[in-house]
Amino acid sequence: MKILVCISCVPDTTSKIAIDPSTSQISSQGLTYIVGPYDDYALSRAIELKESNGAEVIVLHVGGSESEALIRKCLALGADSAVRIDGNPISSTQIADAIVDYVKQNPVDLILMGKESIDYNSGIVHGLVAGALGYVHFNPVMHLDLAGNDLQLEVEIDGGKMEVSCALPAVLGCQEPIAEWKIPSMRGIMTARTKEISVLPLNPTDSVKLVKASIAETARRNKMIDAADAETLIDLLKTETNVL
Amino acid sequence: MKNVAIIAQTKEGQLNEATNQLLSFVSKFNPEKIILVVLGENHLSSVGCSVPVDVISLSDGLWADTSAVSSLANAVKGYTVFGIKSIQIDNILSLLASCLKAEVVSGVQHLGYSAGVFSIGKSIFSGKAMLEISSSTASIFSLNRNFDFSDVSELPAKAVNSTSVLTYSSESKSAITALKPITGTIPLPDAALVVSAGRGLKDPSNWTIVEDLANALGAATACSKPVSDLNWRPHHEHVGQTGVKVSPNLYIACGISGAIQHLAGVNGSRIIVVINNDPEAPFFKHADYGIVGDVNDILPRLTKKLQSH
Ligand SMILES: Cc1cc2nc3c(=O)[nH]c(=O)nc-3n(C[C@H](O)[C@H](O)[C@H](O)COP(=O)(O)OP(=O)(O)OC[C@H]3O[C@@H](n4cnc5c(N)ncnc54)[C@H](O)[C@@H]3O)c2cc1C
Ligand SMILES: Nc1ncnc2c1ncn2[C@@H]1O[C@H](COP(=O)(O)O)[C@@H](O)[C@H]1O
Repeated sequence: MKILVCISCVPDTTSKIAIDPSTSQISSQGLTYIVGPYDDYALSRAIELKESNGAEVIVLHVGGSESEALIRKCLALGADSAVRIDGNPISSTQIADAIVDYVKQNPVDLILMGKESIDYNSGIVHGLVAGALGYVHFNPVMHLDLAGNDLQLEVEIDGGKMEVSCALPAVLGCQEPIAEWKIPSMRGIMTARTKEISVLPLNPTDSVKLVKASIAETARRNKMIDAADAETLIDLLKTETNVL
Repeated sequence: MKNVAIIAQTKEGQLNEATNQLLSFVSKFNPEKIILVVLGENHLSSVGCSVPVDVISLSDGLWADTSAVSSLANAVKGYTVFGIKSIQIDNILSLLASCLKAEVVSGVQHLGYSAGVFSIGKSIFSGKAMLEISSSTASIFSLNRNFDFSDVSELPAKAVNSTSVLTYSSESKSAITALKPITGTIPLPDAALVVSAGRGLKDPSNWTIVEDLANALGAATACSKPVSDLNWRPHHEHVGQTGVKVSPNLYIACGISGAIQHLAGVNGSRIIVVINNDPEAPFFKHADYGIVGDVNDILPRLTKKLQSH
């Protein structure tokens, strides 16, 4: 049983995003990177499954060498090995194509991803990969149990939830409460040092052109209402805005 | 954009407002043919559009793998496909993209088209930034719920050209074993008004004051992440970076500090009201209206004021 966990490496959720004027793109200066929080849920569940059912967990990231420390952290959490497809993808299609190429050469039973990356917020890569491989696809998955070749899932749907059963192979986008985020143990950190990160080249496919990025500032009114006159809020919402 | 397909959203068998706006929007580009793909049952006889549309209904089912969407892919091959973000629509669009080997762009906030090239504004970092993309190859677009439809006008209704049904393929290896719709409440992602509360409420039993205000407004309720982590409120109400992203006309935040991860889910709100007893709460910097006060005092007074009208 092989589980592939695909991770995005994204600016920390508290980051202040800025534009690099020389490239007109998002500046990476001064940003701290983390493994995407949803991807972290996916990895945590994969490691739980490894412990309960026995599985080999492989972490895959499409991106540059600056992500190696984060990949190493995934190994410290309990992943067995890692693959980095080296390059700078600029679209969901390029990332998905790279993952699909890898899986065609190195078949796996289950692919876990986050429901979305928190930088590009596409929520698309898992569907593209599932479609190209002809695997079953569910997203966002909130509970995942595995018995032999069968998956029992709880999946969020528009306006509710559903429980589904399906067979492997599958590609799942994960969200809480599928697992608890984990922290690496000292032993994990030690053993991770000797685990392998293989590096493969990215063959970028033709894709979109990034023209420029800009910061979206929503101007707010910042009007304070005295607590003694709290009720005037309702009048203001009616007269100054037409939301009521 | 000669041929356009729209994955429609319906309400009680009719197109919802966003889908009607999307139809008007694509009509601006003078397509020759439009296919409306409708999920589930519908009784569409006419729709507001520049050309008569063909309707394809997808039967209820999982549509969760390529064998299920391949029949749909055949029907919309060569079409430019649009949908408005929802869980199901994004899932279908991504499977469709892989089937058609088409490029898909999601999170689209504005879109232009001229001489075969799309200029796309994609919102990134949970709405904190915008990426301008140009593409002559992308052909599938998932639009944000707060897509800028401001310059479209309603079109006169035209009778539907033809209707057909695509059944969900039985080749699929998955089955629904239980469906648990959320009943009795307004679905958060669609809500125009939202009352949200955080750890400042202190105890789940105090949620009655939040619900009373929401009821008086006809609003949906939401919460911060710690609140759902503590099981005070259901997970699907949790708003933010790792939860639901909302873009209502009005978002009232009660006893929520305004952590950046929470703000990431509410940036798209038109008007934000913050009620917090700490004047230093970071949320006030992102508020249209702020009240420094105790939720136990302020919320019932607002409810009373609304009820007295
Ligand atoms: C990777 C990551 C992802 C995260 N994702 C999310 C997310 O998606 N959504 C999210 O919400 N959080 C998220 N968080 C958590 C976030 O950082 C904050 O911890 C959380 O938003 C705080 O919730 P809160 O405002 O309810 O609680 P607190 O920060 O404890 O704030 C409670 C507030 O209530 C006020 N208060 C107390 N008593 C009263 C009273 N009687 N009347 C009025 N006001 C009162 C206090 O002044 C305070 O401002 C995430 C964190 C991380 C690390
Ligand atoms: N560069 C990447 N390398 C590997 N996996 C990725 C990458 N980017 C995104 N993913 C995976 O795809 C999921 C959905 O991403 P997205 O479609 O970009 O929102 C993420 O949660 C990750 O699991």
